[in-house]
Amino acid sequence: MGGLIGLIVLLFLLPMIIQQQTYYLHVFIIVLIYIIVVSSLRTVALSGQLSVGHAAFMGVGAYFSGVITRELAISPWLAIPLGGLASMLVAVLIGYPFTRVRAIYFSMISLFGGIIIVDLIMVAQKWTGAAGLANIPLLSPINIPGIGNITFLGQKLPYYYCTLILTLVCLFILYRLEHSRVGINWKAIAQSHMVASSVGINEAYYRVLALAVGCFFAGLAGAWYAHYTLVLGTSTFGFLPSIYLVMYMLVGGQKRFAGPIIGTTILVMVPELVRSLKESAPLVLGAIMVIVVFLMPQGIVGLFDQIRVRYRKSNKRKVTESVAGN
Amino acid sequence: MDAQTLASTGISALMLSAIYILMALGFALLLSVMGVLNFAHSALYMVAGYICYEFTVGFGLSGWLSLILTVVVMGAFGVFLERFCFRPFFGDTNRIIVIALALIVILESLMNILVGTAVRKVPDFISGTIKFSGFQVSQQRILVTFIGAAVLIALIILIQNTRRGQQMLAVAQDFVGATLQGINIYRTMAFATVIACALAALAGSLGGAVYYLNPFIGDQMLVKAIEVVILAGIGSISGVFAGGLILGIIDAFLPMVLSGVATDATGLGIVVLILLFRPQGLFGHEA
Amino acid sequence: MLLETKGLTKNFGGLTAVSKLDLQVSEGEIVALIGPNGAGKSTVFNLVTGVLHPTAGKVLFNGRDITGQKPHTVAHLGIGRTFQFAYLFADFTVLENLVASCHLYPRSGFWEALINTPSYRHKEARIQTKALEILKFVGLDKVKDELARNLPHGYQKVLGVARALAVNPKLLLLDEPIAGMTREEIYFSLDVFRKIRSQGITILLIEHNMECMDLCDRVIVLNFGHKIAEGSSAEVRQNPEVIQAYFGRKNA
Repeated sequence: MGGLIGLIVLLFLLPMIIQQQTYYLHVFIIVLIYIIVVSSLRTVALSGQLSVGHAAFMGVGAYFSGVITRELAISPWLAIPLGGLASMLVAVLIGYPFTRVRAIYFSMISLFGGIIIVDLIMVAQKWTGAAGLANIPLLSPINIPGIGNITFLGQKLPYYYCTLILTLVCLFILYRLEHSRVGINWKAIAQSHMVASSVGINEAYYRVLALAVGCFFAGLAGAWYAHYTLVLGTSTFGFLPSIYLVMYMLVGGQKRFAGPIIGTTILVMVPELVRSLKESAPLVLGAIMVIVVFLMPQGIVGLFDQIRVRYRKSNKRKVTESVAGN
Repeated sequence: MDAQTLASTGISALMLSAIYILMALGFALLLSVMGVLNFAHSALYMVAGYICYEFTVGFGLSGWLSLILTVVVMGAFGVFLERFCFRPFFGDTNRIIVIALALIVILESLMNILVGTAVRKVPDFISGTIKFSGFQVSQQRILVTFIGAAVLIALIILIQNTRRGQQMLAVAQDFVGATLQGINIYRTMAFATVIACALAALAGSLGGAVYYLNPFIGDQMLVKAIEVVILAGIGSISGVFAGGLILGIIDAFLPMVLSGVATDATGLGIVVLILLFRPQGLFGHEA
Repeated sequence: MLLETKGLTKNFGGLTAVSKLDLQVSEGEIVALIGPNGAGKSTVFNLVTGVLHPTAGKVLFNGRDITGQKPHTVAHLGIGRTFQFAYLFADFTVLENLVASCHLYPRSGFWEALINTPSYRHKEARIQTKALEILKFVGLDKVKDELARNLPHGYQKVLGVARALAVNPKLLLLDEPIAGMTREEIYFSLDVFRKIRSQGITILLIEHNMECMDLCDRVIVLNFGHKIAEGSSAEVRQNPEVIQAYFGRKNA
């Protein structure tokens, strides 16, 4: 717990540490945004549904918010949560029939869902722009009493802090959910849907719920992303990006909450920071994936867990004895 | 619609159907026999296309020889795939998905680096057109359709009449039962994988002769393959034929009415609609 | 009458798994459903709990038609069940298995869980207590922190029974609850069943093992999906058709 607080403090002090170099700030902002997206992917996956189309939901939020702020002059601060809601709505509409099928088919169908969404975005070219969406409004200035006006024009620093706060809030909510009864039910369904049903857990409801929550945060992060990069292209939200999201989650480790955070940080930052890797980044990523699959089935966090488990081994005979001595 | 348009679109429909069925069948085989969701199937299509190109243009071999060689090479790759990528993780669905995804990424980015934007296309096996009264059709396209159809028919006969084929069907339908019958599961799975890869290779070589190659055409094909499999229904191999045919017809005729991306979206939309009313697909069992 | 089926039938394509089954279980009874392998016994359970939809016929619980209701609704109505193959929440500990199974009573909603209201925390505390109580009742409390999949097979089945108890059932459907158990585990389990019955819970169980039959008030025999005999365990053991069904096949 203390370590966590220390980490958060460090994150807030980060800009001073790196002397506000805008390039690095940019990288961190992107990492933070993707941490939200990948963590939300993990939330969906908690219920046993591995989605290979998650990037598209980020896109829904991004395009929705971008369009309504541009065309309807709505404040981005309002539009961003609306983007999350839009994404959630799409997820529930498209997802509802798909949550009725077994997990492996869900993965197949999620691929579909992702592509349909991107296609629909392209079809709506009239609003979304043939070559992408441009001229998306910045986050509008906020007035904090005591500190004064904060503008976002041409400044990375306010973006960094706001993104950091957003990420922490989102992660907190996702963490809370996972460790509540809702999360227990999700994990139960993932382990055995038959047993879960037999104890009264409504499988369909909880699967849709996982999808809805996960896509809400993906859309939220996407909308935020839109008002940061100010330009959108559908290639950011297609099949390959969705695969990357899955990768980030699995390399970091799907079992623990910190997994997506670690995975995303490493896999997004490293290619960015080591420029020479950039061109062959996908190849390196693929190679890393293979290594992780063969050697670290639980991802990087799994390594830490394995070390811990060595000290907590249990033994069947010991169990029988303790039960029999009842 | 005049005879010419009807004829060429009709041939395109049949040709697309053949290619889709080849891809979807391979994908469905892997899914039902091994429970593997092989996202990398698209990459196989793409790699096969490039390999075939290399054989014909790079090595100067005849079209037919290149085709056969490509299929053999990819079939061999299938053995490797099954042995090292699928078998060790049999049962662990998520991990296999990750491997398939890793494969796609590696293969696509590798090809991207090697080939980049160079425009490539497998040369026609036969050039020119056949002329009928009132219209003419590309011989290449007819040939592709023929080859595809012939292979598929041969495959069905093979599966239904050989022991290996029967075993494959048995494993697909009831895994535990099949093991109890003494069927060598691993050999059957290898068999299925080799066939799936060979089919993808054929599709890739044939498709590569008709359409231009790029490292990412596989993605489109993957979507089509999955569409067909979902349409056909869970566990249904015969439904794949119907599904492929339907999709081929839609994809050939729809562009005449709608343009560009709308065609894709509509095709997908139709599939989604069918799924909404019949979640188990056209020919599937209860999900 | 607690549980009743009328004309319950299930066809799978050409195969008839259950055929026009009329079954009654009264409150407080322990009834055994027996029959050779493939007689359709597990299918009956799946039909009653809504895992499968009957081709024909009805299922009535406490006089109310529950045919085709979803499994989670059936659980809510008061029917708990175990599975033949000791399904569990494999990654959870024994205690976590129970805590997860107490989902229905007391029930929490999404928002109160998210916000962590005091009433929600109170409910969760009650669930922890209830889970521990059930574990103590079935005798598994000493291993509550073990990973469920590390338990020996027999105790995994007992855990299954504990889980079924978590839904506050009036009726318990036990699918081969002592199959594959060691002698020790069997005595352990039979004891648990007696305790369950003394709590006023009705039990319908599927079994092969004769020892279990002595515990039962009534035995129903199934063969090829038909009911071929019904009565006390002594009566049924003498029934020629039953003998034929179990042993006659060997000579066929």
